[in-house]
Amino acid sequence: MLDRDSAAFIQTGVAISLAACGADRMPNNARALGCKLVDGQQRVAIFMRLSQTHALVANIRENGLVAAVFSLPSSNRTLQLKGSDAQVVDFDHADLMLIERHTEAFLREVLPEGISELAVRTIHDWSPDDMLTVVFTPSAAFSQTPGPRAGQPLGSRP
Amino acid sequence: MSLSIDSIRECLDGVIPGLIATCDADGVPNMAYLSQVQFVDREHVALSYQFFNKTRQNVLVNPTVRLLLTSHLTACQYRLSLRYLRTETAGPLFEQMKAKLAGIASHTGMSGVFKLLGSDVYRILAIEQVPGRTLPRATPAVNYLTALRRCSIRLGGCEHLESLLDTAGDCLGSEFGIQHLMLLMYDEAGQRLYTLASRGYPDSGIGSEIPVGAGVIGVCARERTPIRIGYTTAEYAYGRAIRDSAAASGLAASLETAIALPGLPEAASQLAVPITAFGRLLGVLYVESSADLHFGYDDEDALVAFAAQLGMAIDHHRQVAETAEEAAAAEPGSAKPAGKTLGVRHFAANDSIFLDDDYLIKGVAGAILWTLVTDYAERGRTAFSNKELRVDPRIRLPGASDNLEARLVLLRRRLDERGAGISLAKTGRGRFVLRVEQPLQLIAG
Repeated sequence: MLDRDSAAFIQTGVAISLAACGADRMPNNARALGCKLVDGQQRVAIFMRLSQTHALVANIRENGLVAAVFSLPSSNRTLQLKGSDAQVVDFDHADLMLIERHTEAFLREVLPEGISELAVRTIHDWSPDDMLTVVFTPSAAFSQTPGPRAGQPLGSRP
Repeated sequence: MSLSIDSIRECLDGVIPGLIATCDADGVPNMAYLSQVQFVDREHVALSYQFFNKTRQNVLVNPTVRLLLTSHLTACQYRLSLRYLRTETAGPLFEQMKAKLAGIASHTGMSGVFKLLGSDVYRILAIEQVPGRTLPRATPAVNYLTALRRCSIRLGGCEHLESLLDTAGDCLGSEFGIQHLMLLMYDEAGQRLYTLASRGYPDSGIGSEIPVGAGVIGVCARERTPIRIGYTTAEYAYGRAIRDSAAASGLAASLETAIALPGLPEAASQLAVPITAFGRLLGVLYVESSADLHFGYDDEDALVAFAAQLGMAIDHHRQVAETAEEAAAAEPGSAKPAGKTLGVRHFAANDSIFLDDDYLIKGVAGAILWTLVTDYAERGRTAFSNKELRVDPRIRLPGASDNLEARLVLLRRRLDERGAGISLAKTGRGRFVLRVEQPLQLIAG
């Protein structure tokens, strides 16, 4: 589902966040700390903090519906992936180095914007026992880069 | 104590963009970045509506949304539960957001892409702080309450409009650390604002004019609402805004263009606050900085409170000057000045005045000066009062509410800057004398 370009893009210094929604129709969202591709590049695994995602996790366990947004600050390029088979799985501690690498890449993106490094590191702070992973198969992808084509399915023609 | 939107307003100016989560009729979530969140009041915020996108479609079927905001100062994250109420497409809120968005668009390379279609007003249902490590909040550079207290006392002690203007400039500099400012008065009949005082520019620009509706200052006057921009934007740059607006309103011929508006060539942060008294617009206080995001919500609040006090004082001094019944000052000796003759040329079409060949002023202030020097030349008169000038048919004040005292301050300051040997000196409340150091030759152009 995910083309090679998008697969590479979501693993650069993008801001990552995830949303879900329960039967009460009240959406929940939270920031993520990085991602990787699993299951032969077919599924996306997103790293989240448990303490920030209790309601989000409950929503995912309820219906598996998620929306993930990846946005590169320097270019405003933004991609939204949707999935309907999301699962919450244990965090693999081998992925901590991916989180660290992602934080450094993200810092290179936002420091030129004048945001303080300390603030960014604090926002991206984590502890190993507070982590979980959300895995889903992208069923739809949308470009959300601001402009006339924002919101269109990826690969669609104008 | 539950969290209030008042205390987290630094999250709203878009340094770290907000994230809005919505869901459609089938419960499928959607998420998007928000350019801007606008504080409305303690129970409401407004979000910028720029494109008819999935967020918009979802909000119309399911008005309950979640907004994730992040403070660039404390790294605190907040989750706001909101309910969509309505969309505004004109008026003060819309104009505040439109101006701010123009700055954000320019800063993010999105000029021409970001265009405000509406201000979506939401009720705040709940604000929750997201667990996580945070940074201590830095002590603000200015204690606004103490600064306002000292300003109030100083403004209240001024004896007339001229000292009020000087004190206001001093206060903004010493109490708020504001280095670049202008104070403009509203000409209701002429639908423009004229600069009466300024600080921090090579040329004072006193007498320069802006049409109502042009740039940050003109929009502030038109909407009677503070307008604040955090980044440089061509859309609200003065040269262009004044030209476009003057052309559109037909003011181009009568607008003062010989005197350039002061201002930083590349102002990044701009804040214009209306000066009102008893529901009437009197003028605009404008401050600017070459630094990005220099003025925040707290600065805006403080200057709105400052401008309220200033407005009451301006109105008070106007009334006092025009109703004063003090005895006329003794006319100074009628010794004729000697020396080189100064030509005072008046063009009746627009009341413009030239001293020798140098332009001085036009409009109401020009008509006032011509009246004064005519009486001086014909009758040797030097003592005048605001009360009689107000009803003098030669001056044609544009409206009953026009501030004659402010026009006199403008004229006095232009004459002093010019140093041409003509000056106006206050001799009491609502009274002044004309001082002439050279023989005058009056020429009706």
